[in-house]
Order: sequence, then structure tokens, then C-alpha cells
Amino acid sequence: MSVLTHIEINNISKLYRKATTESLSNVSFSINVGQTIGVLGPNGAGKTTLISILCGLIDSSSGYVSYSSQKGNDISGVDLKKIIGFVPQEYAFYHELTPIQNMNYFGSLYDLSMEEIKEKTNSLFLVLGLSHVANEKINTFSGGMKRKVNLAIGLIHSPSVLFLDEPTVGVDVQSKLSIIEFLKEIRNQGTTIIYTSHHLFEAEDFCDELLLISKGEIVAKGPTKKLIEENKSDDLQSLFIKLTVPE
Amino acid sequence: MKLMASIKKELLLLFSDKVGLSIMFLMPLLLVFIITIIQDSAYKLINENKVSLIIANQDKGDEGFKLIQLLTESGLFEMQEQNHLSSPELKDYLLDENKLTALYIPESFSDKLKEKATQISGTLTSELGLSEINNNNLDIKLPNLHFYHDPVLQENYSSSIANVIGSFLNLIENELMMKSIYAEVGIEKSPARFMEKIIGNKIVIDQMPAKNDDHMINPNSTQHNVPAWTIFAMFFMVVSLGSNIVKERINGSFLRLKTMPTNYIHLLSAKMIVYILVAVLQFALIFSIGIIVFPLINLPKLILPTAFFAFIAMMLISSLAAVSYAITIGALSKTQEQSNGIGAISVIIFAALGGIWVPTFVMPEYLKVISNFSPMHWCLEGFYILFLKGGSWSQLFPVIGFLVIFIAVCQIITYTKLKLEKLI
Repeated sequence: MSVLTHIEINNISKLYRKATTESLSNVSFSINVGQTIGVLGPNGAGKTTLISILCGLIDSSSGYVSYSSQKGNDISGVDLKKIIGFVPQEYAFYHELTPIQNMNYFGSLYDLSMEEIKEKTNSLFLVLGLSHVANEKINTFSGGMKRKVNLAIGLIHSPSVLFLDEPTVGVDVQSKLSIIEFLKEIRNQGTTIIYTSHHLFEAEDFCDELLLISKGEIVAKGPTKKLIEENKSDDLQSLFIKLTVPE
Repeated sequence: MKLMASIKKELLLLFSDKVGLSIMFLMPLLLVFIITIIQDSAYKLINENKVSLIIANQDKGDEGFKLIQLLTESGLFEMQEQNHLSSPELKDYLLDENKLTALYIPESFSDKLKEKATQISGTLTSELGLSEINNNNLDIKLPNLHFYHDPVLQENYSSSIANVIGSFLNLIENELMMKSIYAEVGIEKSPARFMEKIIGNKIVIDQMPAKNDDHMINPNSTQHNVPAWTIFAMFFMVVSLGSNIVKERINGSFLRLKTMPTNYIHLLSAKMIVYILVAVLQFALIFSIGIIVFPLINLPKLILPTAFFAFIAMMLISSLAAVSYAITIGALSKTQEQSNGIGAISVIIFAALGGIWVPTFVMPEYLKVISNFSPMHWCLEGFYILFLKGGSWSQLFPVIGFLVIFIAVCQIITYTKLKLEKLI
């Protein structure tokens, strides 16, 4: 498997069909391996569009994204899909099945053996507190439990890069804390994380760097403290209000 | 490995969908039973059961009695005489007693028939120079017989019964005519042997369905209903498979799969394999019922066609058509409710147009043209060729041709829609 070293986002724009304004406009930045980037912005700012382009769900109208390997080659196609993990905002799994059945299915799509899937599932479920419900139908689960299953599926193949689209939306405080604690562990193991959220303090606590987007453009990027100082704001919330324009 | 995992996932989803399974397996079984029993009863009503006929014979002569005798001897009717009833009373009696038909023979029936026979024979013999010139050419008004029938009795059925009565009336009139001619020429008693010939010598019509294989069974309710309702059941899988696709589209599973090292072919192939298997099981179940259970409840046994491989091919291509249609509905619908609603209603319309309920040959011309657009029409046509006509591969080619086009169109629509939605 290719080892990822660097992600380069170069001047990407996105104009959806029938739309009159661009959802993303000339966005450029780079991500080093092991970084945790929080993508913040008001509703409709272009966060989900950005993350969708980064993980290959949609194509950009212009510009490009390159995933560079240690050898200097671009990683693309199936090789790229094997190293990225995507956790969408929706509960994108099969609610009629159990968590284990979901893990078996999604794990098989990464060509993992049943032993590998079992081992990974057990460790993920143990950390996420899903072991006791592993064989129950998901449609009986709470929102918090479903979020954890959603997250576990995105990690079944131990991805090098993890894309999280609002992973804690709609869950209670306890579940949110446990998800964030888990994500910190993943981060500490060296996984690159690109994360969108509306929870500013959660992002401040969790991310190395923040990327503020407003109306499809990057308005700020860098470590939280540096951004607050540079923009002479009191805290992240006032910085956010100062730099971004609501939808 | 990926395909097997996808098939396993589809099977698990299918087993968890109890309502979908009931619709796909229990509903068609119930329909096959109910419709076959009803149609078989109707068939027996016409061909085996006697029709109840109440007679009020007010005729003062012999001819009314003769008519009753002929009707009784025909074996078609379960006769009940209520000779004291007037025509309106007979109508009320029919409704009160919940019988099917009634016949009122008026008082002057014999007299008027004889009068007319005498007049015609007199004219005939005088024109032939066998008797004196007959100047009596006044029209004789024959009395009407009153035939009542239950309003629920189908028009063509009641007309058939009226025609049977009419044919017996012709026999009586012929007999009277001959007797009258004999009398005109001075022979008092016509030869009995001759009269028997007139009444008894009727041409028999042999009814033979046109079919290629002489060993094939004659059409009956089972030979139509078992394949017809199996096709209906197959297409009704749109409720389960259509909503399964919509769910995957709207809950983000398709999107998630797009970020994984798999592709659209694996995903849809797995669905198609599992649901073709479901369709084959539907065939196996419903056909087994037709073969094993139907004879136990006095329904005609289903006889399988001799062209076994053509039958298997027809089964598979019909299944693929049903699965492709369900996938298309799933791809085009925005919500599960929309998929279930559009899917179920369109299948019912296809069934109606396709001849599942009523054969297409009874439809008006414009509907016959429209029925060609129903995939169920072609599926049923294929099974008719095999089950009722003993047909062969060459006769199946147009059917298979249409179904291949239908499948291709469905697949192209599905692919295009998912592509436009950036799901694949």
C-alpha cells in the first residue's frame, strides 16, 4: 500500500449544475500527514462540498487535489480509496442489520479477511462502547449509538486519512465527549483527520489547525490561537462571527 | 469476495423485510388460490354445473310442455316448475329465491305456434299445388316468452341461455311445421321416425383449442392463473427492492460506497442476483402449489410445458425484467413512499393492460396496442406460448426480444439517473 505524505488542494472551484454562484471558489491549501484540520463555516459555506471533493465523491469544476506518496507519486483510484475513510453526516449504513453485519459488509469491500474484520471490529466496538449491542438491530439504537456505528464503519480499514462530516451532530453531550475522545486517540495514532463541524469549541479542542470558509472562500487558516491573535478577536466564536457571513 | 459480501448483505436485508417477503410470497399465493377458485367455479358453472331455471308454464296446449321436456333433457338446467305464477310474480319469485334464471310460457303459446305453422304450411302446399289456394296471409303475432335472469349474471352468459331456449323453440316450430304440412296433404299422422330425425339429428360442433403440441392440456383456470399471478408477484417485488434502493440512496450508503474500492456493478449485480433468486423461488412455490395442492382441492392440476429449457429461459428473462423495473423505480423515486406508491400502482396498471386479470383479446383495439407496452403482457404471452399452445423457441423470439429491450431501457435509465445524481 502507498504511504501518504501530503495532500495538496490547488485552486479548486465548484459550480453546481443550475447554480448561479460557485459553492467553492479558488480554494487552495495543503495538509500534512498526521494533521487534524477543522473545516468551519456557516451553513451553505461550502464545507460539505469541500470534503466531498477531497474524498472523491464529486469532481471539482476546476483545480485539482493531489495525494502524494513517500515516493513522490500521486495516489489515486482504488489505491486512494483504500487509504481514505469517510464518515458522512447521514447514518450511511444498513439500519435493518446489526453493527457486526454492517462491519462485515463494509470491511469486505476493502478486501479485508474475516479475521481482520473481526479483530478490527472488536477493538473499535470496545473503545466506542458498542460491544454490548454488537448483535442487535441498529434501528433500535439511539442517535449517539448510530453515530458511533457510522464512525466505526469509516475506520474498519484503518485509513490514513479520515474525513468526518459533522460527526457529533445531533448527539447528547456524553456521546459527543466519548466520540471526541475516541477521535483524539485516532489522531494520536497518526491518522490525518479532516473534520467539519458547527461546534466551535469542540473543533478548537480537537484540531491542530482550523480552516474557516465563508461563501465558498477560505477566510482564515492556521492554528486557533494564531488566528485569534492575528485577527484581534477575544475567542474563536468572535473570530468566526467577524470573518464569516451567514447564509 | 466483494460480490459475495454484497449478496450476503442483500439476503440479510431481504430476510429482515418481513412485510416485503409477505407481499412477494403470501400475497400471490392468496391471489392464485382465490382467483383460480373463482374462475374455476365460473368455468364449472358454465360447463359442469346446472343453471337453476324456474318455469311458469301457463300454456294450455302441449308445446309448452314439450319445451320444458327439451330443456330438461338437455341436462343444462336444474328445473323447478312454478306453473301457477304470472310473469310479474315469476320475476319476484326469482329475486326472492335467489335463483339465476326463469322462463314464463304464456297461455296462448301452443295455439299461436300451431296457427302459424298451419298458415305457413298452407301457403307452402298451395304454392306447390298440393292443396287449394290459401288466401290467409295475415301476420300472426306470436306471444313472447319472458326470460328473466339475475342482474348479476353476465350479459353474454344470459344471452347464451336465451339462445339455448331459442334453439329448442326452433325445433318445436319445425316439428309443428312438418306435422302441419303432412296434415295439409292429407296424411293425418306424420311418421315418428321422420319426426325423430328432425328433432334429433343435430350437427355436433367439436371444440378444439389450436395448439402445437397435442399432448398439451386444454386451457383452464389453473393454466392461466398460475403463470399470470406469478408474473404479477414478480413485478410486485418493486415494493421491496424499489424501497431498498431508495433507502440506500437517501441514507448516504451509495455515497459512502463511492468512497470505497468497489463499484456500481458489484452493488447492483448483488441486488439483481438476490431478487432473481426471489423470483425463481416465487415460481417454484406458486407452481408447486399448482401442481401439488390444487388437485387436492378439486382445482385443475398445473401441467408444465414439455419445452423445459424454453420454460427456464422464459422464467429467467421475466425475472430479470421484473428486477430491472424495480431497480429503475428505486432509482427514479425520491422517497420510499413514492417508490412504493408509483411501483405498486404501475404494476397494477401493467397487470391490467398485460392481460393478467382479463385476457387482452377482449380489450378494445386501442388498448390492445397499449398492452404491448406492458412487460407483463410479453411475459404472459411467453408463458401462454409454452403452457397453452405448446410453442417452441422460435415462437418465443419476439417475446424475448421485447423483454430484452425492456431490460436494456430500464438499466440505461437507472444508470443515467444514478450518474446524474453523482451516486456512481
